[in-house]
Amino acid sequence: MSHDKNNYETIHPAAKMYAQELKEGKLSRREFIARTTALGLTATTAYALGGLTQPAHAGGHLQQGGTMRMQMDILGLKDPRTFDWTQLAHFAGGYLEYLVEYNNDGSITPNLLESWSTNDNASKYTLNVRKGVKWNNGEDFTAEDVARNIEGWCDKSVEGNSMAVRMASLIDADAGKAAAGAIKVVDSHTVELTCVASDITVIAGMADYPAAVVHSTFSVDTMGTNPVGTGPFMPDGYDVGVKAALVKNEAHDWWGYSIGRTVPLDRIEFIDYGTDPSAWIAAAEGDEVDVFYETVGEYVDIIPGIGWENSTISTGSTIVIRPNQVAQDADGNTPYADKRVRQALAMAVDNAICLELGYAGKGSTANNFHSGSMHPEHDPSVERLPYDPEKAMALMKEAGMEDYEHEITSIDDDWRKNTTDSVAAQLRDAGFKVKRTILPGSTFWNDWTKYPFSSTNWNHRPFATQVWGLAYRSGEAWNEFAWNSPEFDALLAEANAISDADERRKVAGKCQALIAEEGVTIQPYWRALYRSHKPELQCEQHIAYHSHHYKWGFKA
Amino acid sequence: MGLFILRRLVIMVFTALCLTFVVFFLTNLYPNLEKLAKTQGNFRMSDEAVQSYLLNRGYLLPVPVKYGQWLGVLPGYVIEGSDGELRGRCISSGMQPDEAPKFCGIFQGNWGYSTRFKDNVSGIIGTRLGLTGVLMMWVMALMVPSALVLGILAGMREGSKTDRSLSTVAILTTATPEYVSGVILISVFASSAVGLKWFKGTATSAMENPNLENFLLPVLTIAIYGMGYIARMTRASMAEVMTAQYIRTARLKGVSFPNVVLKHALRNALIAPFTVIMLQFPWLLNGVVIVETLFNYKGFGWVLVQAAGNNDIELLLGVSVVSVVVVLITQLISDIGYVYLNPRISVT
Repeated sequence: MSHDKNNYETIHPAAKMYAQELKEGKLSRREFIARTTALGLTATTAYALGGLTQPAHAGGHLQQGGTMRMQMDILGLKDPRTFDWTQLAHFAGGYLEYLVEYNNDGSITPNLLESWSTNDNASKYTLNVRKGVKWNNGEDFTAEDVARNIEGWCDKSVEGNSMAVRMASLIDADAGKAAAGAIKVVDSHTVELTCVASDITVIAGMADYPAAVVHSTFSVDTMGTNPVGTGPFMPDGYDVGVKAALVKNEAHDWWGYSIGRTVPLDRIEFIDYGTDPSAWIAAAEGDEVDVFYETVGEYVDIIPGIGWENSTISTGSTIVIRPNQVAQDADGNTPYADKRVRQALAMAVDNAICLELGYAGKGSTANNFHSGSMHPEHDPSVERLPYDPEKAMALMKEAGMEDYEHEITSIDDDWRKNTTDSVAAQLRDAGFKVKRTILPGSTFWNDWTKYPFSSTNWNHRPFATQVWGLAYRSGEAWNEFAWNSPEFDALLAEANAISDADERRKVAGKCQALIAEEGVTIQPYWRALYRSHKPELQCEQHIAYHSHHYKWGFKA
Repeated sequence: MGLFILRRLVIMVFTALCLTFVVFFLTNLYPNLEKLAKTQGNFRMSDEAVQSYLLNRGYLLPVPVKYGQWLGVLPGYVIEGSDGELRGRCISSGMQPDEAPKFCGIFQGNWGYSTRFKDNVSGIIGTRLGLTGVLMMWVMALMVPSALVLGILAGMREGSKTDRSLSTVAILTTATPEYVSGVILISVFASSAVGLKWFKGTATSAMENPNLENFLLPVLTIAIYGMGYIARMTRASMAEVMTAQYIRTARLKGVSFPNVVLKHALRNALIAPFTVIMLQFPWLLNGVVIVETLFNYKGFGWVLVQAAGNNDIELLLGVSVVSVVVVLITQLISDIGYVYLNPRISVT
């Protein structure tokens, strides 16, 4: 890392506090790294401050050259801001890079930014753009490019722009655009961000997969054929549903070389083998692919049998099986507006059983409030409503709903369907009436926020407050619970402005308790993610499905 | 004969019009458009965003107008979107709005744009139809001769041991659906489970370079299923012909058994199987979906599934037109073929 500009005096006061907490055992190693790097510390400094050893980077042991073939869905390309599948970023990430990079150890390391810093209440950020970065058409990459991209992320009028939610604290809510003066270009390599409200998640949001940085001439139509980007690869064909390829851009002087990064692979091919994992296994056995994008369910156990290896990471990816509080049934009633009904549903379900039956036990149980030990602000002392089917039935009777037939909708796939089935079975065991509806993937997402009772998968995010802000805050587009709680919104805003860990955990703990107590959702477990590959290949599964192409390669 | 073919062609055009309108109407129902907008934008998009997306791209015009635009009898829409951008059906990317043609539909040779594959419909259908064509050719080359031989051998001496054993084989293969036989073939010949690994259990590489290793299993899976069926038809037809008076006469006159079968019985026995073989073409075109999915071979059946699953309106219409043409052309060929096989039949 070339930017050891942090010395102890300039380190953010909160970071020093985190180091103290790490020593006292209040923070886990991953929490510590995620939190301090988000405040602007380099990973090296963060590891040093915490007295930790930085994991050796394995890049040196990879051989130069080779073609890697990955089984992956090839979906239609679109504007990166509207990416809804990480597979899209696996391809585009080869040439459209990110300002910062989120790593498996929880750290956020600089990419196109050289460093960043924030003031004490996380309302003002200074972004230092890396010098010497060039677009692959020869132009310099400057602060103007960064500002233009951030402005684009803040544009709410672009249909499906999910970056707008991540950049919410920079947006003027009425105009639907970046607030006046929120993004300021200070000089050719410095950008200053002024948030409308305190927000510790801005940098983490920039690490997420839709935050790919595009050139001023970017157009969605020519994205797969004539792209200008900063990355070490360039696209070499994109055939939706069939195949896509990235080839090393030898003519481009990639900035990564100057800080010691290497690009082992010459070519990366992505081949679509449909959604049936047995077809992937056949492809692996036929030596047509080297790695699967993601391996799920029982196929994880089959992999060693064909001579491959699994790379695994435990994450904050999860599933929620939730009632919608404003959904109306056929008679126009809103069955889930009643808190007792929601509590009864949560109390009738043993989360360990969901994990066992729904995801073959590959993960850890969660407590129905969408925050876990992988999140920095998690308060482990908060508990879910106890598992008690008898009390659940009593509550349901009290609400006069014991004869109501609950219709639980899920997508037709492997683990999401099975998990929802296990919830339905446990509700039946508790004496409730349940009807299961399974919809194909092509229609399920049409109304995913509106089904009266359904399951949705959620990806890992570095902070619990990020997910809460996306899905649990009142009025958000992705608030599938239709939960409207001014009390929670206030707590969340409070949490987002506190960088002191203990103080913040107190507030986060209240948030957790409130979500659990209100019976907002059943959130049974955290998933471990798997990626299967040939033993000689290095291509780790990422905690949030990001793709760091330069880290992939064949072992020497 | 000329009149007959002409009449058939007119029917074909009429059927294609009716079918495409039905498909057009169904794919343009609002929930389907909503699905389209969500797959194009972001699948977790809000309702307002869906509305503005559809409005800006002309999806909310009346169905007959849109259908006319697709056909090319009405001028393509030009809409200034809520975001200030000017979009038009005939304005492709990088084109100035005033340079764009007024009409752009089927009559102008424009089959439209696939929202799922981000490519021209004609190009997609051409490629995929070609791939299924290759698959179909090898299936036919394997299936038809073996089925005919099997059927004739079984049918020439009804009730014999040969007949019973061959019929059993034919019934068994027909009664085994492709998704069963395909899985069995893969696990026996292509997986570590049995360990033979002679062939590949996927035909993805066969799209570029078909060879015995990657293409035999899918071809075999379809051929085995169709073979039993055609063999049964041939057997029945052959057995019936063999009981005819003129066969008995030929035998009594001292014609050898092979000569009776090949010179006297065969041609008459082929009429029924001929129809069945012709019917296999439309079946192969869309019925290979299962095998194409199982072996991940991206042909016409796969395009149909993708187009339907993603509500890709113009691609689905293109697929429908091709299907209508293939069904009616094979029917036409089988009708004309009758005349040559059986002089007593006349098409006029």
